[in-house]
Amino acid sequence: MAGPLAPTRTPETTEEERGDLDRPWVTIVWNDPVNLMTYVTFVLQELFGYDEPTATTLMLQVHHDGKAIVSSGPRERMEHDTSRLHAYGLWASYQRDS
Amino acid sequence: MKPFRARGGSLVARLDRAEAGIVGLLLDQLEQLLAADTTDIADDPVLARLFPAGHRSDRELAEDYRELTEETLRGGKADDLAVVRATLPADGGEVRLDLDQAAAWLRTSNDLRLALGTRLDIDEDTEPPDEIVDEADHQLAVYYWLTAVQSSLVDALVAARAGRR
Repeated sequence: MAGPLAPTRTPETTEEERGDLDRPWVTIVWNDPVNLMTYVTFVLQELFGYDEPTATTLMLQVHHDGKAIVSSGPRERMEHDTSRLHAYGLWASYQRDS
Repeated sequence: MKPFRARGGSLVARLDRAEAGIVGLLLDQLEQLLAADTTDIADDPVLARLFPAGHRSDRELAEDYRELTEETLRGGKADDLAVVRATLPADGGEVRLDLDQAAAWLRTSNDLRLALGTRLDIDEDTEPPDEIVDEADHQLAVYYWLTAVQSSLVDALVAARAGRR
């Protein structure tokens, strides 16, 4: 299906796209039955420099809610954070913040 | 097994001969897995767990991520495995690790647990076997033994880190 070619973008589209670009990306750690709670806390401290209470809060959020956002920022950095978490075997992915 | 303890700047544990033998065999299996073809990842739940998708719903992004990171990830796991092999007393005995070696042990023992746990379909309600009657019980016992090793290593690393401050 092809509609008529629009010579210029409508203001709505432009605004929407700009909103999309501004929306940061996030790295998420998902709950899994294998990784130890102490291990997840340790890794979050090690990789992101969180203090122990912050890392513990995030770990418990993963445990109880099934997931937690552990970092946010530009896409490339979230890719990098995800790969660092994968190196430690945490179940992580990145996505646009919703 | 004498669990890991922080001693000075080192992490020290002791494995008996049978335990060291089991770790050696598990390392062999992991090494084979890490050498497997990338295209097998989708068909193999263990590989899929060791090399997860970077993005959950966008296939294109997930493929980009894999292309970008997989080789590094694979290489890192292989390097860690080599460190564990080099510091594992083949006939049992003391394991003495510096902090970098301990980090390699931490990641590799986690990969071994992920591989075993995925194969055994471990969930949050799984418990250690009461007695060992078949191969699955044996594997489950090994899984929980690895859990104890890794758990002691995390605790020892936390203690070592607190000691550095």
